[in-house]
Amino acid sequence: MIRVGIIGLGKMGRLRLKICRLLNDVKVVAVADSSKRALQFAENTGIKQLYNDYNDLLKLEDVNAVIISLPNFMHVESITAATETGKHVFVEKPLARTSTECEHIGNLVRRSGVKLMVGHNYRFFDCVEKVRKIYDEGVIGEAELSTLELVYDGFTPWLEPRPMPEWYFDPDKIGMWLLDAGYHLVDLFQWFFGNSEPLYAYLGHRYHLPYEDHAVIVLRSNEDLTKGILNVGWFCKMIFPQFNFRMILHGTAGFTSTDQFTPRNIYLHIVKESTKNIFRRFFGAKIEVLSYTYYYMSYLKELKNFFNSIKNDEEPAVTVNDAIKTVRTIEDIYKVAYDEYPHKR
Amino acid sequence: MDNLVSLIHVESFNGEGIKKAVYEAIDLIDLSLSSVGSVVIKPNLRWYWDYSTGETTDPRVVSAIIDYVRERWNDGADIKIVESDASAMRTKHAFKILGYEKLAHEKSVELFNLSKDEIYEKEISVDGYKFMLPLPSIIFSSDLFINVPKLKVGPYASGQCLHMTCALKNLFGCIAKPRKVEYHPHLREVIVGVNKLVKPHLTVVDGVFALGKNPVKLGLIMAGGDNLSVEFIAAEVMGYNPDGIDLIRLASKEGVGNIKDVKVVGESLDNARKHFPKRSRLGFKLSWGLQLSLLLLYAKLSGDIIPPVLESS
Repeated sequence: MIRVGIIGLGKMGRLRLKICRLLNDVKVVAVADSSKRALQFAENTGIKQLYNDYNDLLKLEDVNAVIISLPNFMHVESITAATETGKHVFVEKPLARTSTECEHIGNLVRRSGVKLMVGHNYRFFDCVEKVRKIYDEGVIGEAELSTLELVYDGFTPWLEPRPMPEWYFDPDKIGMWLLDAGYHLVDLFQWFFGNSEPLYAYLGHRYHLPYEDHAVIVLRSNEDLTKGILNVGWFCKMIFPQFNFRMILHGTAGFTSTDQFTPRNIYLHIVKESTKNIFRRFFGAKIEVLSYTYYYMSYLKELKNFFNSIKNDEEPAVTVNDAIKTVRTIEDIYKVAYDEYPHKR
Repeated sequence: MDNLVSLIHVESFNGEGIKKAVYEAIDLIDLSLSSVGSVVIKPNLRWYWDYSTGETTDPRVVSAIIDYVRERWNDGADIKIVESDASAMRTKHAFKILGYEKLAHEKSVELFNLSKDEIYEKEISVDGYKFMLPLPSIIFSSDLFINVPKLKVGPYASGQCLHMTCALKNLFGCIAKPRKVEYHPHLREVIVGVNKLVKPHLTVVDGVFALGKNPVKLGLIMAGGDNLSVEFIAAEVMGYNPDGIDLIRLASKEGVGNIKDVKVVGESLDNARKHFPKRSRLGFKLSWGLQLSLLLLYAKLSGDIIPPVLESS
């Protein structure tokens, strides 16, 4: 049994808590959050050890692993504290706000010998896994061009009747904007095609924010020279269950796209999958958790991977190095954008 | 004096086109004002959605109103743009994100958060329902209060479905309390209650991008001196029979305004009406309330989880 502590019970932390409760051999025994309301949420799920300060949680010897769902600017400090107490760490992306901070964490992890996995959940989308399989099997030949798109609503949290947290609007606390919105696209491109460099980057402002809200980026893989156009934005009103992500690969022998593996009608998909689960439960079979939203399942799959890496003493699917590479490339993207458009700085 | 509501289409969707339409619309209603020293302008800012979604007032419309006030009434008027915090929106962020901070800087006007003002607790009774409303003092102390709503359908809130959101509903945003969802169980009564207490001198409707089933480039500016009359004509523009709208009926019964002898000036109502996309009330219930209820029921029946962001709403 892996005994888990969850640090930070915002919308992601609460989702992680709910998912952990459905996993075998995993038990959430403690949570930490500065908000009384968040701790109340955890208490209602039966968790007894509740802390305002995560350092108190980290003192618990029977906690093997922690899930850190804190704001970006608190990652370095909390990961440092967790690794010093020998806890395995799952942390939301981005690992940290700069590559220097990421490398510092990398050194800590290597020294302490704990497992650390970063939440690159897009790798675990069914549609992405299927595109990856097609690519790996050579069905489309060699990929020359690719397009990755993610445009959504960055500020209005779906149906949640609460305002976004203040740190979201503070450039120092959120770090580079692409660490939030563009992170997954950069990671996917490099996961498929290896280390890459930006050939072009435009960072734009639809809204009047202290940071950008959309970008067009061209990356080129250093290994196989695949080019990728990344379109990313925060400006589009979107209400659950809508989701606007796709990845298209154009190869020498054909093409493939995540759109081929996502439901054409999300509402019908929800009805179909939820009906299946109700029947599964009725007949005593195991339900497919969160299958009604094809994208939320990825959170479950990545946590399973993290806990399996602890049980089997293996490398998790997403390593510290993957996260460092992603943050470094994002820093390079900013350099290219600002060199070309210095007035945008 | 005639009860006039003007309808003007913009000739072009840029700042100049919008300004021209706003000027024509206000000119046509023959508003007689004695002294305009302090001006409060209340747009509709909902969450952090762009004006082109049809959800929030276009800052270019507000910009044109500011110019109009200064050119026609008082060049040195003290002008404030106001909005209150809402359950899922903080005014300071909405002002910044949606371009109002930039506008305020360019036009040298003040941005004002109604939730931070001195509050008057006002008791009001609507249709036998008595309640208290926390209202900011600035609303009552300005010489000219200008309501600048958006033209849109809905909303669906806590089991109640309004046909439309326009002149009457925008004043709901004058309630200082951020958690306005608490008023949703008596939404109609509360909207009418606010309208009994708060009387705009001028209402200018931003129908440049309206919201029906989807956003639509309607290109319409409306203006009127009586808030309820503007709502009445807006309902017609949206293709509704205003007499069949509970909110308008209730507001009229409670003496909020005068919908008798409303006269449309500018363009014809038929010309404005034909562009508007319709959306069924059932459609709202299906897309919001029923969807959430079904998800919660599904979670109970299957043992599956639903994302916490949805669960808390």
